[in-house]
Amino acid sequence: MLISYSWLKDYVDVKLPAEKLADLFTMSGLSAASIKKTASDQIIEIEVTSNRPDWLSYVGVARELAAITGEKLKMPAAPELRVQGPGSRVQVKIEDKKLCPRYTARVIKNVKVAPSPVWLKTKIEAMGLRPVNNIVDITNLCLFETGEPMHAFDLDKLKGPEIIVRKAKGGEKIVAIDGAEKALDESILVIADKERPVAIAGVMGGADTEVSDSTKNILLEAASFDPISIRRTSRKLAIATESSYRFERKVDMENIIYSSDRAASLILEIAGGEPGELVDVGDKAPAKKTVSLRCSKLNKVLGIEIPQADVKNILNALGLGVKTSSSDKIELEIPNLRGDLENEIDLIEEVARIYGYDKIPVALPGIVEQPIRRPVEDIIEDKTRSILTGLGLDEILTYSLLSKKLVEVEGISGDDTVEVMNPLSSEQEVMRPSLIPGLLNSMLWNINRKAKDLKLFEIGSTYHKDGDDKFAEKITLSVGIMGQASPGAIGASRLCDFYDLKGILETLFRELGINSFAIKDTNDARFSASSRASIEIDGKIVGVMGDVSSRTLASFDIKDKACAALIDLAELFKHAVLEKRFKELPKYPSVSRDISVIAGKESTNDLIIDTIKKTAGAILKDVRLIDRYVGKQIPEGKASLTYRLEYQDPKKTLEDKDILDVHSKVTHALEAKLGAKHR
Amino acid sequence: MKDELKAVEREAIREIKSAKDKDALEALRVKYLGRKGVLTELFKKMGEVPPAEKAEVGKLVNSVKASVAGALDDGLKGSSGAEEALAEKIDVTLPGRFSMPGKIHPITKTIGEISDIFISLGFRVVEGPEIETEHYNFEALNIPLEHPSRDAFDTFYVKSRSGKYLLRSHTSPVQARFMEKNKPPFSIIVPGKVYRPDATDASHSFMFHQIEGLVVGEDIKFSELKGALTIFAKQMFGPKTKMRLRPSFFPFTEPSAEVDISCSVCGGEGQKCSVCGGKGWLEILGAGMVNPKVFQKVGYDPEKVTGFAFGMGVERIAMLKYGINDIRLFYENDSRFLKQF
Repeated sequence: MLISYSWLKDYVDVKLPAEKLADLFTMSGLSAASIKKTASDQIIEIEVTSNRPDWLSYVGVARELAAITGEKLKMPAAPELRVQGPGSRVQVKIEDKKLCPRYTARVIKNVKVAPSPVWLKTKIEAMGLRPVNNIVDITNLCLFETGEPMHAFDLDKLKGPEIIVRKAKGGEKIVAIDGAEKALDESILVIADKERPVAIAGVMGGADTEVSDSTKNILLEAASFDPISIRRTSRKLAIATESSYRFERKVDMENIIYSSDRAASLILEIAGGEPGELVDVGDKAPAKKTVSLRCSKLNKVLGIEIPQADVKNILNALGLGVKTSSSDKIELEIPNLRGDLENEIDLIEEVARIYGYDKIPVALPGIVEQPIRRPVEDIIEDKTRSILTGLGLDEILTYSLLSKKLVEVEGISGDDTVEVMNPLSSEQEVMRPSLIPGLLNSMLWNINRKAKDLKLFEIGSTYHKDGDDKFAEKITLSVGIMGQASPGAIGASRLCDFYDLKGILETLFRELGINSFAIKDTNDARFSASSRASIEIDGKIVGVMGDVSSRTLASFDIKDKACAALIDLAELFKHAVLEKRFKELPKYPSVSRDISVIAGKESTNDLIIDTIKKTAGAILKDVRLIDRYVGKQIPEGKASLTYRLEYQDPKKTLEDKDILDVHSKVTHALEAKLGAKHR
Repeated sequence: MKDELKAVEREAIREIKSAKDKDALEALRVKYLGRKGVLTELFKKMGEVPPAEKAEVGKLVNSVKASVAGALDDGLKGSSGAEEALAEKIDVTLPGRFSMPGKIHPITKTIGEISDIFISLGFRVVEGPEIETEHYNFEALNIPLEHPSRDAFDTFYVKSRSGKYLLRSHTSPVQARFMEKNKPPFSIIVPGKVYRPDATDASHSFMFHQIEGLVVGEDIKFSELKGALTIFAKQMFGPKTKMRLRPSFFPFTEPSAEVDISCSVCGGEGQKCSVCGGKGWLEILGAGMVNPKVFQKVGYDPEKVTGFAFGMGVERIAMLKYGINDIRLFYENDSRFLKQF
């Protein structure tokens, strides 16, 4: 709502300069967004919250200002009109009283339609509207002044003439005053004459019956319409007007007659004419509500002691009448224009607002004992973040909404993708079924900016349909690496590969206390056939990793090689062990012995280690690959592998003779079982 | 003889100390302690010593031998500094070997910081679903479905049979979900993603993060809301931060407030500050006392319990805290951006 600083002074004395006034508004709940200076005025834009339709008028804002500053509200004059003779009137019929509780119509004959006088034009322009003619401008002026939207018809264009407030019939159409034809249906309330709709009730008048330069006789409408119906119509027809905005928020029924009189008296003053009687059909204004307020409750909710006399003063200034009052309880009569005041808490808010939030003291909230402070999942997520960042990976955050095109890439989504009904753009058509598109898009963004050495991860949900009205959100970890393995190093460089990624994941798992995981061959099409694996914990697949397939990369316009992994974090939550237990340090030193073998492809590292462990038994504490060589002197298709075996006895220091036997058994087993020859 | 022995000892130690490397030390060992070494030769002359002095000279010979041998051992261990002195000097200005540390995303960091402040005040972290129902997103929070108060919450809907599923437009639905399953007293915070169909620009994003707070108990007051938020504002933005509450409207709280802090850039002094637009205040969150209607909907008795709630946009807090001027930067994941935090 725009408030002209100079116009506001018509209704209340304003002693503050515009800027201070704007601050005062802001601190009272009418947030002032901006002040615009014009040649002779200052326009304050206030943001009116949806609970206060009474602030959508100058009188409403002036009433509030008067309450805060203690000044007097000056209501604009609406003198009783003298109707000469029998006057003219039209028949008004309301067919749907729920959607139109009250309708008033007044005929004014022999008006002189002309451009508005300068003072009126100035006000209309201050509100950002274009002046039309004196009649239309007066109805607009009154809308801003009193908050009641009104409409003037050209009486002679109304068939009958009569007014029927009814729902539109299927197939009916109307050309509204914006010049566009609107198709109507049974859900839309219209104002009709004997034959056809002449206005979309509360939203916009019809072009056929609008007041024009040739208009002689008018019918002035002031009515009340159902907020929900107006809101639906406005949305359905995509027309939002000053009128629909106010009716949606509910206008004060008590204000109708006053506003109609005010507009009619201005019309007589400016355009002349002879008024007819006011036809008033439907409900009268409802009886005033009574709401009671306990001062004890007020003080308890706010944490302050406000004397009862002050409470009464504040509420009186806001136009609430004290009906009865005891030592604690005050009964208040609520004016109809304050439809938002229904319960005790509404009154508590009013007192707090006017008393000033800044005067309420600051107290420390008590601490409550609660079972846990942070969910264990949260702690594991954080631990995952710190492990991965420690390994040099940057955390990324990507949108949960994606274009359909991206998820149609092979293997990205199943048939459980969640679709968005009302996306703003093609980038928001579906909920992500995978973190892969976000990861690859982030890689592409950086590649396009010449950053090709990337180590990234994201922790986020993927979204899935799980039946007709059921959805699942799965917390997932994605990891992606590409480019130089150690971009900070000087000298020889090496590109990231499968094993860099595997090393990251192994470290993560071990640090999370998960030791029972295995990396196994898989045939997931998102990854290239040569380097891909599934990640299992206790035999259950919890993730997948590998070189992203060239087809997938091509779908994202990525030309460089990238490795990625996806891990179901819910599974890690289940298996992670964050509690640490101390293990006694060994009393006797361990002894290391190396074994070198030449092995074929069928002898995988896992198989060799497994054979070594089974053969060596409990005396073997650890075994690991320390060297792998392929090339000259090694037959094709084979590799020379060196393993370091660490033997240890908890009861004594091992000597050569203690391990000689075991070590040679291991050597023989490797050859006998796997054909891996000792070298 | 005794003088001769002492002279040999002095000379031997001097030579050992000035030896340049291991080979030189080995040569000295041979020179003094070898089969034909100086000390061995001297020992052979023991026969010439008068019998009365024999015991004394014998002891001296042994002590000189031990001292020379000791000096040789020390030299070999490197304590003589001979080898270090010999090594070539390195270029200390060459870059250190390092592995680039990874960074936590600024939004995660900000959520962590905010959470830590409230956890220290006794709050508990709770989460809820992002695909929500109309009921929890609106009705349970006293937002009627066809009411202008919904205009502030434009919403993405997802395709479902009932048509009632949507992407939560705020974290507040978790309030109702939590209250249905738990009894007061409690203090919770709820971080998470929220969605609104806003056209993307420097200050709008269709996806962003919020942190919701809710405290319910027998005697929770507006003054305590102010207390909790004051602590938060000072911890997050510095001890000099001022805070103000302005009356506002949210369907689920009453009284409601918008909360501003003094501009973290100009401190409220800058007439031309681009961050606060010269106003001196920055809006950071919405808050209020829980509307009794919300309590009734979850089966709490508003005569017995009161509570306060607040909600803030994490991106906004992070932008103010780090001086970031474009919300889109958070989701581009440009490594030049990520590496700064």
